[in-house]
Amino acid sequence: MRLPGYTTLKSAAGSLLERPLRTLLTMLGIIIGVAAVYAMLSIGEGAKEKILKSIDSVNARTMSIYPDWSQGRASRRRPWRPFSDKDVEQIQTLPGVYAATGDLSRQYPIVSETSDWNANVNGIDAQYLKAKDLEIDQGRPITSVEISRRETVAVIGTSVVRSLFRDQNPVGRRIKINNIPFTIIGTVTSSAGDNWAGRDPDNFVLIPRTTGRARLFGDHRLARNQVRGIVIVGESQQDLGRIESEVDYILRRARGLSADEAPDFRIFNFSANRQSYAKSQKTLSLLLATMGAVSLLVGGVGVMNIMLVSVTERTREIGLRMAVGARRSDILWQFLTEAVVLSIISGLLGLGLGYGVSKISLGTDNIEMLFAPHIAVLSFSSALIIGVVFGFLPAHNASRLNPIDALRHE
Amino acid sequence: MNTPLIKTENLTKIYGRGAAEIRALDGVDFEIESGEFVAIIGASGSGKSTLMNMLGGLDRPDLGRMFIAGQDLGQMSNKALAKFRNETIGFVFQQFQLLPKKSARANVMLPLQYRRPRREDEKALAEQSLARVGMSDRIAHKPTELSGGQQQRVAIARALVDAPELLLADEPTGALDSKTSTDVMALLKKLNAQGITIVLITHDADIAAYATRIITMRDGKITADERTEKAP
Repeated sequence: MRLPGYTTLKSAAGSLLERPLRTLLTMLGIIIGVAAVYAMLSIGEGAKEKILKSIDSVNARTMSIYPDWSQGRASRRRPWRPFSDKDVEQIQTLPGVYAATGDLSRQYPIVSETSDWNANVNGIDAQYLKAKDLEIDQGRPITSVEISRRETVAVIGTSVVRSLFRDQNPVGRRIKINNIPFTIIGTVTSSAGDNWAGRDPDNFVLIPRTTGRARLFGDHRLARNQVRGIVIVGESQQDLGRIESEVDYILRRARGLSADEAPDFRIFNFSANRQSYAKSQKTLSLLLATMGAVSLLVGGVGVMNIMLVSVTERTREIGLRMAVGARRSDILWQFLTEAVVLSIISGLLGLGLGYGVSKISLGTDNIEMLFAPHIAVLSFSSALIIGVVFGFLPAHNASRLNPIDALRHE
Repeated sequence: MNTPLIKTENLTKIYGRGAAEIRALDGVDFEIESGEFVAIIGASGSGKSTLMNMLGGLDRPDLGRMFIAGQDLGQMSNKALAKFRNETIGFVFQQFQLLPKKSARANVMLPLQYRRPRREDEKALAEQSLARVGMSDRIAHKPTELSGGQQQRVAIARALVDAPELLLADEPTGALDSKTSTDVMALLKKLNAQGITIVLITHDADIAAYATRIITMRDGKITADERTEKAP
């Protein structure tokens, strides 16, 4: 049993293949249009996803607070003041705060049995690993019991492992920090993206803050219950603005500053920058997609142009087909099918090309980022619509021909 | 006597209006029986082409009526006329009107493409039809690879493929040399002998002589209607 549309489809394909060069050139407009729409939307979408991902990361939800050293130096009347453990504890209880920790660190020489190295030594509290998004590689983290007992245990970063232990498992080995012996109980790697330009993010040693205060940082100008800065991570980026103002309130109260006084600390919150970057990226990809749509439209005009030429060229064929029994609707469908077949094939090729282009420009093999079904459907169906819309006029013209005149056409 | 295959009553076609009015057909009445071989002869402008278009369901009369194979053509919708052309009429044109990029068989199959319902054996029918005109060995050839006479044979095979009741030939030898013309006319004669009704339009008396009946037209009117020999 033959399907009714089968012959129409076959003869449409046949007549497109009879003029391969022209068919290819006509298709080119649509191919480029679809590829442009697909690539632009998917590149835009991919870039947005990348940004959203980074926005969601701990790093992007982090803000830091440090004393305003420039103010202190300039006025002399107000030497910089550190923050207290109580400030940190209060901030930890704020709603929307994922983790908060004090920053208390200093560079010290680290000595193992065989070699020595310089690293940043951090005196940490219980929330430090969480706030810095650090995960234990080997061994275990420092417990709160160890913190309260001031034990001489240490967790070291991978750069220290590499330098002092040549990547051997150091858990259980001993090191001396500023001549005080510590036992290594674990190792950690910082999460990717935590890399501050030029600084090695993994060159650190973590010890209990209490131990540090009692035995290491004694000569430091900080008091026993003080930290140099505070690092705060919000539950989500949206919380950061509110947390910032609440932190500002807490710190002003702790320092006896009124609301209209200039603060002697600074809050560094980078999330606003990221959001505006995401917004401008969106505008850009919209602009590019518009350009793609315009080229698709131009491709459609090309299809119409070629179909009109084709109808004129094949006037006698149309007359003959009518003479041997074709209805007007048969002729209409014949040419419409040609336009649609042309558009479908171009649409598919365009999708392939667009995929390739976005793969190259996004530089990733991540299928999820490269192939968004809704973008594919959108760009493909716009090709189809273009085919139907721009194919209709020529097809309609063909179907309205008078067979007697058409047969005489030269 | 049976009802005639073709019967026209006061068939009239008018082009233009008022003073510029031209009656391409002016009250034409005739009947053609099934199995006849009729030549309609006349000078250019005599109305013979208009008559042929009308007989083929490509044009409609302005006045009068026309019955072919029991169907009243004046009353038919465009759709019904398309079906009529498909099933009842086989056209043969002066310029052959073959699709240049398609094989002889594909050309012959063309009318079957518009048949409703479609037939399963389109290829076999086309090949049989080509055999009937002596073109079995040229099935896969394209028109450009065939001589004029061969092309016209393919065109005749196309007209015959769905067993029409009437073969309409419009100057079928107009584009052929005299030797080939003779061959093509002999073929038509043979087909008529097999029972196919043929109406032939020509301006050439020698060609018209192949027919068993000659209708002469002038200024849209029939001026003579004579039988050259007894109908078989």
